[in-house]
Amino acid sequence: MLSGVVVQVVINGILVGGFYALMGMGLNVIFGVMKIVNFCQGELLMVGMYLTYLFTSTFGLDPYLSLPLVAVIMMCLGAVIQHGLITPLLGAANDSNLIFMTVGLMMLMQNLALVLFKSDYRTVQTGYSLKNIHLLGQVVSLPKLISFGVLIFVTFMLYAFLMKSETGKKIRATSQNPIGARLVGININRMYILSYAIGAALAGIAGTLLLPFYYVFPMVGATFTLRAFVVVVLGGLGSIKGAFVGGIVLGLLETMGAFVVGPQFKDSVVFLTFLAILILRQHFVSRAR
Amino acid sequence: MGPLRSFRVELSLLGVLLLVPFFIAAPYILHVFIMLFYVAMLAVAWNILGGLTGQFSLGHAAFMAMGAYTSTLLLIEFNVTPWIGMIVGGMLAGVTAAIIFYPCFVLRGPYFALATIAFAETFRNLFTNWGMVGKAQGILLPMVDRSWYNFHFFGKLPYYYIGLVLLLVIYGSFAILERSRIGYAFKCVREDEDTASAIGINVVRYKLLAAFLSAAFTAVAGAYYAQYVRYIEPDLMLGGYSIEIVLPAIIGGIGTVGGPLLGAFLLMPISEYLRVMLGNTIPGGHLIAYAVILILIIRVKPLGLVGWLNGLRWYRQLSGAKLGVVEVMKK
Repeated sequence: MLSGVVVQVVINGILVGGFYALMGMGLNVIFGVMKIVNFCQGELLMVGMYLTYLFTSTFGLDPYLSLPLVAVIMMCLGAVIQHGLITPLLGAANDSNLIFMTVGLMMLMQNLALVLFKSDYRTVQTGYSLKNIHLLGQVVSLPKLISFGVLIFVTFMLYAFLMKSETGKKIRATSQNPIGARLVGININRMYILSYAIGAALAGIAGTLLLPFYYVFPMVGATFTLRAFVVVVLGGLGSIKGAFVGGIVLGLLETMGAFVVGPQFKDSVVFLTFLAILILRQHFVSRAR
Repeated sequence: MGPLRSFRVELSLLGVLLLVPFFIAAPYILHVFIMLFYVAMLAVAWNILGGLTGQFSLGHAAFMAMGAYTSTLLLIEFNVTPWIGMIVGGMLAGVTAAIIFYPCFVLRGPYFALATIAFAETFRNLFTNWGMVGKAQGILLPMVDRSWYNFHFFGKLPYYYIGLVLLLVIYGSFAILERSRIGYAFKCVREDEDTASAIGINVVRYKLLAAFLSAAFTAVAGAYYAQYVRYIEPDLMLGGYSIEIVLPAIIGGIGTVGGPLLGAFLLMPISEYLRVMLGNTIPGGHLIAYAVILILIIRVKPLGLVGWLNGLRWYRQLSGAKLGVVEVMKK
């Protein structure tokens, strides 16, 4: 009996963790290239969820089919944010303004959503929303499983893009050394725009994949932003593989923590672990220096 | 008069504020001023750690709530006057800040901010599930006799003057601190930690002192808020409130003496005006305005309003302000 519960907890942990991984990867692409901590990552997810909601509720489009549309719209939004608001601040002496720019964007998106959609919880109903299938002797919700599959696919595509394609190599070069990248003829401002666009698209994709079994409300992003940071710190800054593993680990940690100390304290478990890792990591880094 | 001369603007503002209640008796207007004093207190207190020392806390709402809860619980459970509760809450929040930030001070820039968010969220999570502090429902302060002992008065007038005095104390402390040896050490830590420790400044000790002072003043403001509004809940620690504490400082000019005050005086009337005009039709209206102002200021005047004003000659002559070395270099 108990082992059955543990298997269920592990499965849920992995399925949830996939989303944290996707959010963490988006954050990581942006951080890796520009060394910016993007405080509005969760709000980009929220925008993605509302876009999917609109496509589904007004045009009757299946949420999974709206995925490419959402990804493209989010890329454009990301490019506009980067070009208009963030690029001009890069290179300024104080990085505090970069923090507060993304904080301002977070407030703006949250409250625009509040005005446009009110604080109601919304979700989409599809024919398969409540379907379950049996896996390892456990009941698993079908949309969660589909989403997880798509998510793995997106992760592989991103990894292949960054590792193999020429543009991906340019992005990585910019993240390793912007001045060197510029010297060999890479337009680094374009890479900045591209990486923020990719980060935004990943958040939007996570939003689309989340909606079939979750609900959207204007403040939904806050929990995901914080968890995305946890993932990034767990998996190492700038690393895609690390973010994926970190996301799964965080998902497991959260569901296990909820199982052990009670669901009402799962936030505390997540954040205290985060603090411990953040601080210990820094101690080791400064000792190694 | 010498050192006071550079506070000409502030002193005339104080004079006006002392007289305001003699001309305006409308409770609503007094309420707006009371909230303004409260917001300004928080922003000035945040500015000690965030502005002077350069450690951006995005979790200060937790310290504010700590002051609110401490003063309230002491009054309800032990019948201790909120005046003492305010001081106890301040001490408690200061010590808590020093203890929890101590390990975090190895983190720099955005990582420190992240750690403070995580701490505030953990506190909120714990308070939401803690029976003694009323769990998620929070605490409604009971109807007690209206007296100085209970920090409970008829009308808004006493709250107005108490708020003004508290703001004066916190603002004055900041202004004195900023020009003291300690203040220079804080700024040195902010500009370059390695250089600071090279010239013999104990970086960690000064950061701890700044965290203590900042959190303690924040908690005092929180206690004032709790006794005025008479209802507190764990959601006071939400990240959004922590950001609202920081906004006036950023918009007014981070690390400057007058910036947070100016920011608060700019933002509060806008927020109240929008609240009245838009009412319930657009609930987040004033926050949209805040966000737009914040983004515009960062984009157009990165040094904040005070940084911009100090660059104008007529304002320097009026206020007697002198350009600091940093401002001259950044010009």
